[in-house]
Amino acid sequence: MRRKTVTSRSASISIAMTLFVFLFVGLSAGNATRVGDRAPDFTATDSNGRVHKLSEYQDKFVVLEWTNRGCPYTQKHYNSGNMQRLQREWTSRGVIWLTVISSAPGKQGYVKAAEENAYVKQVNAAPTAVLLDPTGVLGHLYNAKTTPHMFIIDAKGILIYNGAIDDRPTTDVADVNGARNYLSLALEEATSGKPVSTPTTRPYGCSVKYPD
Amino acid sequence: MICPATCGVRKRQIGMRLSRLRNAGLSLFACPALVLANATNGQEAESHARVELIAEEYTPHTGKPVWVGLVFHLDRGWHIYWQNPGDSGEPPKVQWELPPGWRAGAIRWPTPVKLGSGSVVDYGYESQVLLMAPIERAAATSNLLTSVEADVRYLVCQEICIPGKAHVTLTFPAAGVTPKRAPGRRSLFEQTRGQLPKPLPAGWKVSVTQQNDHLLLSVRASSQIRGATFFPLEAGQIENSAPQGFIMTKAGFRLALRMSDQLARPISALNGVLVLDSGRAFELTAPVISRR
Repeated sequence: MRRKTVTSRSASISIAMTLFVFLFVGLSAGNATRVGDRAPDFTATDSNGRVHKLSEYQDKFVVLEWTNRGCPYTQKHYNSGNMQRLQREWTSRGVIWLTVISSAPGKQGYVKAAEENAYVKQVNAAPTAVLLDPTGVLGHLYNAKTTPHMFIIDAKGILIYNGAIDDRPTTDVADVNGARNYLSLALEEATSGKPVSTPTTRPYGCSVKYPD
Repeated sequence: MICPATCGVRKRQIGMRLSRLRNAGLSLFACPALVLANATNGQEAESHARVELIAEEYTPHTGKPVWVGLVFHLDRGWHIYWQNPGDSGEPPKVQWELPPGWRAGAIRWPTPVKLGSGSVVDYGYESQVLLMAPIERAAATSNLLTSVEADVRYLVCQEICIPGKAHVTLTFPAAGVTPKRAPGRRSLFEQTRGQLPKPLPAGWKVSVTQQNDHLLLSVRASSQIRGATFFPLEAGQIENSAPQGFIMTKAGFRLALRMSDQLARPISALNGVLVLDSGRAFELTAPVISRR
């Protein structure tokens, strides 16, 4: 409700102000951006020390993937090679894939940059970058709840998917094959100019380990 | 294995774990109730949960439904999930294996607690919980209920989550054999029945209206209620982490529930459990009236 008011007001003010308001609302109210809304801009540092801004990826599709390597739901998709396969397929098709780690220092799943780079190599992951979000600011901005939790932002900066990676909310590797992969489905549709048929699902997994 | 001397039973358990020693306080429950009731249990060492299959009555030949239940003994700080796990996790899944002609009814889920704080909130159980279900004759069969087996898959979490599996077996004494009973079992079922949500008291009335991004749950109650919490049965309807605004009204009370930001489809009915500040819990179901 509060968000709606802010959104309509922001339409009449400058873009910079809009981004500020989105950021502010996202942080203060914990309201997630809804599918169809402009995705809030963010600045975050990756595991190689590079700073990424969402707005620098205008004209590209962007995937945000919340991850936690100790979580069995995440492990299902990495041990099976499913996540790496999706990362390779979609980045090769021009999609920016940002993996995000929002575990706080001292919390399960927190990693330092060097550890994460070693892990990426070890599991042969292929995201565009891994964003380190130990303060949880980015996680709260998108209201990421679980690992995995997937978001897709289209080339116009609109959030077009928010939810689960697929329709099998289990930890069983055997469930990867035959699952309906919502992420791929949405990307296939959106990149061929079609509306996303399933834009919102309930994400499943372990809770994101935000700071207390 | 710690077992009270009074128990005096022979037991056969596969996959016993050292960590069970830590559960000495629960050891009474860890003993099979009967000489003839064995719980077989193949579980991984570091699961932080131990699953046991027990029966309320060990005389299953009376024609009445037999109540059996899975007791989850959880290490301190660990939890499993309610039928709606909330924002993360998943509920235990049970596959019953019964003699031909018998079937298992639905699990009766005790009222859960809220787990976690901040922006991710789950619903589940800590410490110990009994998930009970009736075993009933499905057809005109002369088969005796000789045993009940269950394949259980569950997720147990502290900060980290671990998937667990258990295959548990319960063997009933043959007809005509008088079972010896150890204390604690019947009372566990009785105690758990006390934790099951009840139908709303006669005279109470519930209505739900949608106003913008909130569902207003109005309850006409026959006594003064000073606090209440709603647990939704369906995942993804309300924001689990949002505070539930409680106000007393002339006729009862009202709870404001923030609808999920990620609502996949409109909410036509609200189903769930209403827990009063007294701890009493009621089943609730009501159509949602939209008033924009």
